Amino acid sequence: MGKAVEFVGINKYFPGVHVLKDISFSVEEGEVHALLGENGAGKSTILNILHGVYSEYEGDVFLHGKKVAFKNPNDAILNGNISKVHQETMVVEELTVGQNVTLGYQPKKGLFIDFNKMHKEVDAILTELDCRFRSRDIVKTLTAGEKQMLAIAKAIYHHSNIISLDEPTASLTSKETEALFAVIRKLKADGITILYVSHHLEEIFQICDRASIMRDGEYIETLEIKDTTEDELIHAMVGRSVSAVASRLKPSRAADEVVLKVEHLSDNDGKYKDVSFELHKGEILGFYGLVGAGRTEVMRVLAGADRKISGNIIFKGQEIKGNWNSTKALKYGIGMLPEDRKTQGFNKLDTNYNNIAISSLEKYMSGVFTSEAKKLKNAERFFEELDIHPNKPEYLTVNMSGGNQQKVILARWMSTNIDVIIFDEPTKGVDVAAKAEIYRLMEELVEEGKSLIVVSSELPEAMGLSDRLIVMSEGRITKELTDREAFHSDEILNYAIGGN
Amino acid sequence: MKAIYTKYKREILVFLATIILGVVFTVLNPNFLMWRTMLTIFQQMVLNGLLAVGIMFTILTGGIDLSIGCTFAIVGIAVANCCVRGMNPFLAIIIGLAVGVVLGAFNGFLVTNLKLQPFIATLGTMSLYRGIAYVVTGGAPVTNVPDSFRNIFNGQMPGGIRYYVIVMVVVFIIAHVILSKTRTGDYLYAVGGNEEAAKLSGVNVRKTKYIAYIASGACTAVAGLVMLASLGSAEATAGIGYETNAIAAAAIGGTSMAGGRGTALGTFFGALLLAVLKVGMVVINVDSFWQYVVTGLIIVAASYFEFMKGDLAAFAARHKKA
Repeated sequence: MGKAVEFVGINKYFPGVHVLKDISFSVEEGEVHALLGENGAGKSTILNILHGVYSEYEGDVFLHGKKVAFKNPNDAILNGNISKVHQETMVVEELTVGQNVTLGYQPKKGLFIDFNKMHKEVDAILTELDCRFRSRDIVKTLTAGEKQMLAIAKAIYHHSNIISLDEPTASLTSKETEALFAVIRKLKADGITILYVSHHLEEIFQICDRASIMRDGEYIETLEIKDTTEDELIHAMVGRSVSAVASRLKPSRAADEVVLKVEHLSDNDGKYKDVSFELHKGEILGFYGLVGAGRTEVMRVLAGADRKISGNIIFKGQEIKGNWNSTKALKYGIGMLPEDRKTQGFNKLDTNYNNIAISSLEKYMSGVFTSEAKKLKNAERFFEELDIHPNKPEYLTVNMSGGNQQKVILARWMSTNIDVIIFDEPTKGVDVAAKAEIYRLMEELVEEGKSLIVVSSELPEAMGLSDRLIVMSEGRITKELTDREAFHSDEILNYAIGGN
Repeated sequence: MKAIYTKYKREILVFLATIILGVVFTVLNPNFLMWRTMLTIFQQMVLNGLLAVGIMFTILTGGIDLSIGCTFAIVGIAVANCCVRGMNPFLAIIIGLAVGVVLGAFNGFLVTNLKLQPFIATLGTMSLYRGIAYVVTGGAPVTNVPDSFRNIFNGQMPGGIRYYVIVMVVVFIIAHVILSKTRTGDYLYAVGGNEEAAKLSGVNVRKTKYIAYIASGACTAVAGLVMLASLGSAEATAGIGYETNAIAAAAIGGTSMAGGRGTALGTFFGALLLAVLKVGMVVINVDSFWQYVVTGLIIVAASYFEFMKGDLAAFAARHKKA
């Protein structure tokens, strides 16, 4: 077999940064090839070059032995038969599946769109992919997993023989992930080449043939998956050995004192029903459940981001009366690190030190005015303490990598005096090394007497971190497990799918 | 020095563009470079400058206040009526400011409590406030505003600088201090940059938006007072279309229409550039119809420049490496 993709001596510069350093490697035709590396290693950049997002770079890209230089992503799709399925798939929610798949290239009959032909063609592709939804369905009725399939169908519609999947399982349930893998295997059998980017190493072992590893903009090596181990991959990605397994190294600090008590919390739409639990001082309380179990919705109410409909919140023995909002939550001492950092975590126009200072501005005053110098000094302290890279408090937060963005948001809460910190999917999109650091920071926080709630959809993470674990299913708490030594994954999964 | 440049790059560039424009006009007609012309330019920019700095507050939060031209008219009518009836002029000024604050707060109410889209909400109040102005006056102008009121703004300093120019500068300084030196300023940028993140950080988003719309109303009220003082009369048709020039000044000065980005200094230079353009074209006898064409081109060019900035930086970086 020939080479589907070959990179030769690729260099890429952003203002002041050399992001890709002389990258050369190749992908065989018909293989599933993983692209691995920490955040900021250059995976997205090399993919963007491949798919025509960046047309300015040094070096050559060959597809099936032919040199290509795409002007834009459309050029790549139409003339290179190469498509990319994005992390968060880009779809027009109000249109039908067929319209989305064919968008811009609809079959026409005279001046008008030939809808019959469109839906027939798209349905044929959907059948081929074993999808249960049809071409005439409206996209907004689809689940995240189905939207992913839609994006793959679009690639097939354009006769792509190389498809890149960028973190495709990030918002999928385990069942949807299985379905995705089945489709990937099918595509592979049809001779289609897949480039696969993911932080989930177990997925790499399930689905990929080979893996190319990048670190700090450099190409490290390409490994045969069947001849390698998880530790070897991590070592190549990070440059040293790191344990990515969620665990507790220090003894539990959980006390009997109840910091936060929630009673009969319910909303009107049934997203969460009759949720009651207690959070103890110094405890890490885990919340496990499948996507859509209502965990995030409950946490958003506790953090004051959404209105409390019914039920009580009792903070340190004192029932909270009147309107509950995020300003009040901060005053009482509850803060949340949201799951979706990019859209909810920070102001992308602002610097690290301002993003850290925003919740505790009263601490950086000189007289009646805020002091830039004091904000900066506070940020410098946390950059040191949390080991945030690069050590540049004056950089825009949006330019930091995922794990470091998470640390910046954590620094924001550590700058305040809050007692309860809610982590919603704390390591989503965070690379292995940063993951391990975030776990250690959580332990330090409970040492200081803070109480943490950790919402996670990754079972090993939820089990490895929690003192106690609450399992939710379809808006209800189905189980509370109090003995961390007796956590059992089969039992937890069973409660998560609503069994008992 | 470099830090100041990076921080106020846009402002400095707009200022330089203004200077270049001034040089061009001077070459075309040396009379442009006279003290009298300078005074005219600053007098010319006062109303637009005040409206622009006000509307900038709402744009910073990701909103907009289309009703400023109408608030402007109502304030003029209210204060004119007070003065004509013999009220103490300073009391009348306070009433004028209060009217601006109330009308601004009502916009804030629509945008925060009722969660209306700012564009639609203020499009509504634009018509509502204009209607109130017509109903109150019956369409007739309120004239003969006494000098005791007018002199407060119209009086001249040595060199012929009108007091109202000083008033405008003071308003800009206050706006600058609020935006760069107070918690309210940080909250305004935070809400405009990412409302959801601001909310999750414990920022009182509602209060912050109220402040923006009230600031807009208050700045507009000051503009209304200046207009009343210089004309000596008020009418319901005053200020029609003024919001567009105010938005233009803010945009040229680097205010992002998506919110979260913009400074008082930039808006000041944006308004100054528009005033230089307007006065300059009169000095070199450009037909007034053409003035619209040129102003339009400048606005488009300024936004294109903003769009290009990223590309230019990438280009520079590439060539530095090579």
